[in-house]
Amino acid sequence: MLKKAKLSHLRYLAIVPLLLLLNGCAKHSIWWIFNPKGVGAKASYDYMMIDVAVMLAIVGITAILIVWFMWKYQKGKNRGTYDGKWEHSRKLEVAFWGIPIVAVAFLSWAVAIHGSFAVNPYNPTIITKHMKPKGDPIQVDVIATDWQWLFIYPQFNNMAVANELVVPAHTPVFFKLTSTAVTTDFFVPQLLGMIDVMPGMRTKDALESNNLGTYQGIAADYCGAGTSWMLFKTKVVSMADFKQWAEGVENNPNTMDYAEFNRFAEPYINVKDKTPVYGHVEHGLFNHLLLEVMDGKKWPLPMFMTENMFHYLKLQAAEHRA
Amino acid sequence: MLVNVPGPWSPLLGRLALSEIPYTNPILAPLFVVIVLAGIALVAAITYYGKWGYLWKEWFTTVDHKKLGVMYIILGLVMLFRGFIDGLMMRTQQMLAVGPGDNGMKAMGAIHGYLTPFHFGQIYSAHGLIMILLAATPLLVGIMNIIVPLQIGARDMAYPYLNALGLWITAAAVFLIMISLFVGDFSHNGWFGYAPIFELAYSPGVGVDYWIWTLELVALGTTLGSINFLATVVKMRAPGMTWSRLPIFTWSAVSANIIALTSFPCLQVALALVGADRYLGTHFFTAGFGGNLMLYTNLFWLWGHPEVYFVILPAFGMISEIIPAFSEKPIFGYTAMVLATFAIAGVSWIVWLHHFFTMGMGPYVSTEFSIATMLVGIPTGVKVFNWAATMYKGRLTFSAAMLWAIGALFLLLIGGLTGMMLSIPAVNYMVHNSVFVVAHFHMMLLCIVYAVFGAVIFWFPKVFGFKLNEAWGKIMFWLFSAGTFLVFFPMFMLGFMGETRRLDWPFDPHWAVWFDVQEIGIVVYVLSVLAFLWMIYVSIRDRAHHRVGADAWGTSRSLEWLTDSPVPFYNYAMVPHINARDEAAWRREHGFSQSRPDHFAAIHMPNNTGVAVYIGALTFVIGFGLTWRIWWLTVAALILTVLIMIYRSGKGDPGYVISAEEMEKLDRESRQNMSDGQQHLPKGGGYTGGTVTAYSAAASDQRPQGTPPGNSRPLS
Repeated sequence: MLKKAKLSHLRYLAIVPLLLLLNGCAKHSIWWIFNPKGVGAKASYDYMMIDVAVMLAIVGITAILIVWFMWKYQKGKNRGTYDGKWEHSRKLEVAFWGIPIVAVAFLSWAVAIHGSFAVNPYNPTIITKHMKPKGDPIQVDVIATDWQWLFIYPQFNNMAVANELVVPAHTPVFFKLTSTAVTTDFFVPQLLGMIDVMPGMRTKDALESNNLGTYQGIAADYCGAGTSWMLFKTKVVSMADFKQWAEGVENNPNTMDYAEFNRFAEPYINVKDKTPVYGHVEHGLFNHLLLEVMDGKKWPLPMFMTENMFHYLKLQAAEHRA
Repeated sequence: MLVNVPGPWSPLLGRLALSEIPYTNPILAPLFVVIVLAGIALVAAITYYGKWGYLWKEWFTTVDHKKLGVMYIILGLVMLFRGFIDGLMMRTQQMLAVGPGDNGMKAMGAIHGYLTPFHFGQIYSAHGLIMILLAATPLLVGIMNIIVPLQIGARDMAYPYLNALGLWITAAAVFLIMISLFVGDFSHNGWFGYAPIFELAYSPGVGVDYWIWTLELVALGTTLGSINFLATVVKMRAPGMTWSRLPIFTWSAVSANIIALTSFPCLQVALALVGADRYLGTHFFTAGFGGNLMLYTNLFWLWGHPEVYFVILPAFGMISEIIPAFSEKPIFGYTAMVLATFAIAGVSWIVWLHHFFTMGMGPYVSTEFSIATMLVGIPTGVKVFNWAATMYKGRLTFSAAMLWAIGALFLLLIGGLTGMMLSIPAVNYMVHNSVFVVAHFHMMLLCIVYAVFGAVIFWFPKVFGFKLNEAWGKIMFWLFSAGTFLVFFPMFMLGFMGETRRLDWPFDPHWAVWFDVQEIGIVVYVLSVLAFLWMIYVSIRDRAHHRVGADAWGTSRSLEWLTDSPVPFYNYAMVPHINARDEAAWRREHGFSQSRPDHFAAIHMPNNTGVAVYIGALTFVIGFGLTWRIWWLTVAALILTVLIMIYRSGKGDPGYVISAEEMEKLDRESRQNMSDGQQHLPKGGGYTGGTVTAYSAAASDQRPQGTPPGNSRPLS
């Protein structure tokens, strides 16, 4: 229902430009793309700025020229001289082709080629080239279902946490990702770019952040009715805190075997933002699921599942999944 | 039953059941009542005024390219409105739903806002499909249909009956997607669909089936049209209309239709395979049993990207006609413009991968497609520079059509800037699937819409003989532009704030203020729709005061401005001889504007036929039968279609001949009918080359068209 509180924020419209400036200084910025907190996201941001600078120079000058011509050559104002037969100039045509060719050549070299390797999800040189020989990277197996995330930590007793990701700062984190249902995207706007998560396939991504904090993770590709609720908080904590947290999770008596996962993977919209933890997950679950899905295993959706969300929530409660 | 579909199925009705009709839905049920009442009123009005015969004889069965074009444009405008309503519903949902907390509308079953995911998914999918394939495409095809034969001095398209068939098959697609509102549901998976979510296991309803058959029908209609355009331009140019004198809009139509002809089969195959998965239980795009879901994405975008240029290139062509006319100068760098058009068309084939950089194909492949994508920026940049240079040293009149064309230029600049950002994989990973992408491609598609509105205003007097109201055209332009800014500037900002696409529930409360701004933008858009309707009403009411002569704007340049306004059904009483690239401007300079043919020859015209309407109706039945798996209906309609096709092929169309005497009479009448409103109009300058020949004495309709200029003798 449209609540009064909804209408009341219309009054903020007057200060939109001001908000724009203020947000730039805020500690927890809402401009996620402009405030990267991960090594990969920062690199992407830098490449974006180079690209925008080059393109804005050309586009901006063109826009100014068009406006100037509109002013100068308006009929009846006699500001400029009319030449109704001027339709060709060799010099200009060379410039018209030359300028974009030079710009594209520069951007190809400086941004497209360099950038593709620097933030290549499978081997981001921006992370791997600085890797200390001793600093052990963290491995996380990511399984997307309809519509939850399961993050498994193989180095930590194969513990797992659903719908929340906790990683240590100053440490590379390498993800292996697959889906049991349909395709979606793994995305933490302030930390790392999107990578497809596909059923029966394994993709990879990597993350390193030097900024403690909690960042929003999103299922960025539409994957059905529960997409909007398929969120996960990503907590970047210090290594000491991470170890302490991991110890707590490892000792959790709640465990997940394949049968339990089968129930977990049934279509479920995480409306209540639940983050169950599992002290131990059956070994080899990730690879087993990969093969199962390739062999045709599915968790099909019921018809009209979300035609009435209140009805759906009642079903959730009846199944003791709420 | 070839695969086990969830839910009931009966041999007689297939999956169709009363429960599939959403009569309890608080939005759809009243809408249905309104539409039914409006339909009854329309039918009653037509019956009362006895116009059924007129409609059937003059419009439904016509093969006249101008009337078909007008019907295409009406179809496109209606669907543009439907797509806009979808957009309005999505904006409203996000404005109401944003942020945590219980703000749902219980009557609609929604826990956030007023739409459930079940409905929101259908709305944005229908919005995308409608706007690209059932609004932009018919609008552009309609304008090409009217203008291309006129610009090359042809009497009609090469295959008039095929032209009608294309329209009625497209209309069948429109009916199919419209009926999905009230019978069953539509696809949830976006206009391009995803593998494997469109498989039966994840989309058990009939929505995806509606989506498949709607797309297949549009693809069929457009492919037929593209064959026709290419044949027309290659074979039916008037004498003297050499390739180097072809107007830029016709060039852009040629390049666009080459793209359409070569790329649409790709879509049809991809969708046929999706259909096989859903109907026959094959595993082309499933995750398991050896299917390859990435193959679908490749196949779709292998068509999808050329398709994007299929819609943008004619829009570029329209801008290239409007700007010179209102700058009173020839287009700057004609050859460069043509080369740039074909460069864009060519590159369109090697960039499809940039729609899914995030699939993880590795840096070598990404880089290659990234650079290929940036290459598009070169010819596009050339085009923008050339348009700017056309305005340089011109005499600019800011009429409504010119405003729309210049507006399109600015949208193209913003779209180009953001497009270059998206073409970089490193940047793309951060904004792919975010609303930043949505804002970017809306800039490009609105560039098309701006060009289309400009073109409609520009060419309206040619087709109907009177101008649209300039003042209301300008009011609509400014309202529409304000709406565009208010909706899409916040959308770019939301993209930088990390909002992803297609969120039924935008979770972050910080986004709220921007959604409110967008909603205001949508209200302004509504005002611009009203201004458009008012412009049409006022223009028709005052049409007697805005009658025009052949050269409606006084500064127009290309061939179509030589014939009478409104264009008579035979287009040109005598086929004109082309002397220059800008024939109308050239004749004006040389005092030939008023010259009329001094003798006439018999011409051959095609007969009207109802066959195209019947086949269109039957293709709708086939689509509907397939969607609901009513096999007997599908097979019956298919057999009937084939029988009609055989009957039509056997019968053929001998056409009819208008004698020279009758042509003289028709020409005299058409001329008297047209007001000579040219004296007070400005005179534009500029032309390029040519020998002095007004009408080709030798160019009668009994001879093949497209005679080289050397073969025709000057008029004495």
